[in-house]
Amino acid sequence: MKAVGARLPRYDAMGHVTGTTQFVDDVRVPRMLWAKMLRSPHHHAAITRMDTSRAEAMPGVRAVITWEDVPLLTYGHLEALGIPADEPLLAKDEVRYKGQPIALVAAEDVDTAMAGVDAIDIEYSERPALFDVRKAFDSDSAQIHPWGNWYPHFEGEMDRRKIRKGDIDEAFEQADKIISGVYRPAAIEHVPVETQVCLAVPESDGRLTIYSCTQALYFTMGVIAAHLQVPLNKLKVVGGTVGGGFGGKVDTASDTVSALAAMKAGRPVKWRWTREEEFLASSTRAPWHMEIIDAVTDNGWILGRKMLTLHDSGAYARFSPYGVTKHSFHHTGAYTIPNLHFDGYVVFTNRVPTTAMRGFGVTSISFAVETHMSRVANELGMDPYEVRLLNANRINDTSPNRIRYTDPSTVDVLQSLAGAEGVQLEGAYAGMTRDPRSGDLLPDHLVGQLKTEGH
Amino acid sequence: MRIEVNGAGHNVTSPPLASLLTVLREEMDVTSVKAGCESGGCGACTVLIDGQPRRSCLTPVVTAVGSEVTTVEGLGTPDSPSAIQQSFIHHYAMQCGFCTPGLVVAATAYVNGGGSDDLDSVAEAISGHVCRCTGYNKILEAVAAAVKSSEFDLSSTAVDKNTVVIKTGGAV
Repeated sequence: MKAVGARLPRYDAMGHVTGTTQFVDDVRVPRMLWAKMLRSPHHHAAITRMDTSRAEAMPGVRAVITWEDVPLLTYGHLEALGIPADEPLLAKDEVRYKGQPIALVAAEDVDTAMAGVDAIDIEYSERPALFDVRKAFDSDSAQIHPWGNWYPHFEGEMDRRKIRKGDIDEAFEQADKIISGVYRPAAIEHVPVETQVCLAVPESDGRLTIYSCTQALYFTMGVIAAHLQVPLNKLKVVGGTVGGGFGGKVDTASDTVSALAAMKAGRPVKWRWTREEEFLASSTRAPWHMEIIDAVTDNGWILGRKMLTLHDSGAYARFSPYGVTKHSFHHTGAYTIPNLHFDGYVVFTNRVPTTAMRGFGVTSISFAVETHMSRVANELGMDPYEVRLLNANRINDTSPNRIRYTDPSTVDVLQSLAGAEGVQLEGAYAGMTRDPRSGDLLPDHLVGQLKTEGH
Repeated sequence: MRIEVNGAGHNVTSPPLASLLTVLREEMDVTSVKAGCESGGCGACTVLIDGQPRRSCLTPVVTAVGSEVTTVEGLGTPDSPSAIQQSFIHHYAMQCGFCTPGLVVAATAYVNGGGSDDLDSVAEAISGHVCRCTGYNKILEAVAAAVKSSEFDLSSTAVDKNTVVIKTGGAV
C-alpha cells in the first residue's frame, strides 16, 4: 500500500523540467522533409480548377498530395460504429470551411514547401456561407451538404436525437407558470501549447512509423489504415507524449496526410502546424443553441421540460452525433424532471468542424440547465438553492434515458456549495439527504418516473 | 558567426536573421526550446541571454553573438536538477510539460534576480507564459518556494494546502 493515499511524484516530471521529454517535434531522423498545406481561403466554395504540376516541378519539392493520392478519401472515426462519414481527407470538388486542407507539399525545407503551396494553381467559385447554427437550421438557408443542413443518420436513420418521457402535455396543462430561456455558449479553441504535429517515417521493411500527438492512438491507427487501405501491421504509431490536447487531439488531423506524403516521397515527413493554422483550422468546442421551456408550479417543482438543441457541428459530422447523444442524456442536468420532450440536431455550418473538449456535449447542457434553474428560482421568487434541492436527483429517480440513479450526488454537492458560499439553508433543506423520495418529496407527478423500467 | 549555448560554442550555418529558436532546434538539436507560437505570444521558447529571459522565436540569431545563451538543459540535468527544477517536481507544477522548460527558465531568472516569494510578484514574472493544463497555481507555489529554499524532497509531491488563490477582477 505504498500508493494509496500517498502523493507520488510524476514519473515524467524530471524529463519535463530538464527538457529531456521527447515530444513529436523533438524526434530526430535523418533526411527529413517539411510539409505545408494548401488550405481553403474561402468558407464555402466549389473548386473549379486545380493544377499541381508547377509545384511538383519545383526544385526541392519531393511530393505533392491531393485527394487523388488517397486510397479511401472519405472515412470517419465513428464509421466502425456504423456512423457514416462525410469528410474527405483532402478536399476534392468543394470546400466547406476556411482552412480546409486541399493539397500537401513536402519539400527539403519549410520555405520550399511554402513556395510549393503558393505554386499550386487553383480556382474557386464562392458559395454563400453560414456561420450561425440557428440560421443554418432554417429551411430556406443556403445548403451546405447535398442531404441538407443537418445530420440524418441517428438510429433508424432519424434526423435528430429524440427523447420522449412521461406525458409532456399533461405537465404543461398542470403548470402554474411556463418559464423559458435560450442559451448559446460559443465555440472555444483548445489552444494546446504544442500545435498539431506529425512525423511519418517510411521504414526499410515497408512499414511506416508515425510519431503522433494524438490523444486517441488506436482511433488514429484505425483511421490511417482505413484511408491508406493497408493492414494495421503496416503501421507503427508512436504516441503518448501529448503537449496538451483537451479533446482537440482526438481527431486524426495531421497523421494520415503526413503518412501519404512519406510514402510518396520515400522520405520521412514532418508536418507541424503554425499557431495561425491551429487557430484557423483546428477543431473547436462546438457553439450550441439551446431552447428550454419548463412547466413549473408556484411551489418550485419542475413538472416537464420541452427542449430544442442545435449543436453546431461545423462543416462535417466527426464526433458530433456522439456529443449530442451525451447531451440528450444529461438534458435535465442534476435534477429529476419526469415529463420530457427533447429534440437535438447536429447542424452543419461553414465553421471548422467541432469536436470533443473536456465534457463533450455535457458542459453545454450544464451551463444551460444551471442558468435556467436560477431563472426559474428568480421568476418564482424562491431561493435558488431550494429550487435545486427540491428537484435534485435522489436514489431511485430516473434519468432522461431511463437509467435509475443509485449514487446521485446532487444533494450533497448543493449543501457543500451552500456551506462554501456561507449560505444558511432552511432546516428542511439543510437536513435533506439523497434517500429515495417519500412524503413531501414525493408529489404525485414524480411517482410515475420511479416505476419506469431501467434498461 | 558563432554563438555560445550552455557553455559550448557553435558555428551558425543559418542566415543572420534566422531565429535563435530555429538555430537551437534544427541546427543544434536543443529541443527543450519549444515552437509554441513562433510569434512571441506563448513563452515556450524562452531562453536566458546573459541571464535575462528572452523569446528565442523573436531573437535573430545574430543578436545573440557575443552573449551567453542558456536553455533549460544548461540549468540542471536529471542527475543534478537545480533547486527550481526540484521545486517544480515537488509542487507538481506541470501536466503535459510542453510549457515547462520555458517556465523553468523564466523562474530561474526571477529567483536569481532576487525576486520575492510574494505570489503577485511571481505571477507578474511568469505572466508571459501560457500553460493550458495547470491553471498556474502550482507553478506560482513552486517558484515562490524556490525563493526560500534550495532543496526539495523529490520522493513525494507537496501536500496541497489550498492556500493559493489567484486574485481576479470578478467572478471566476
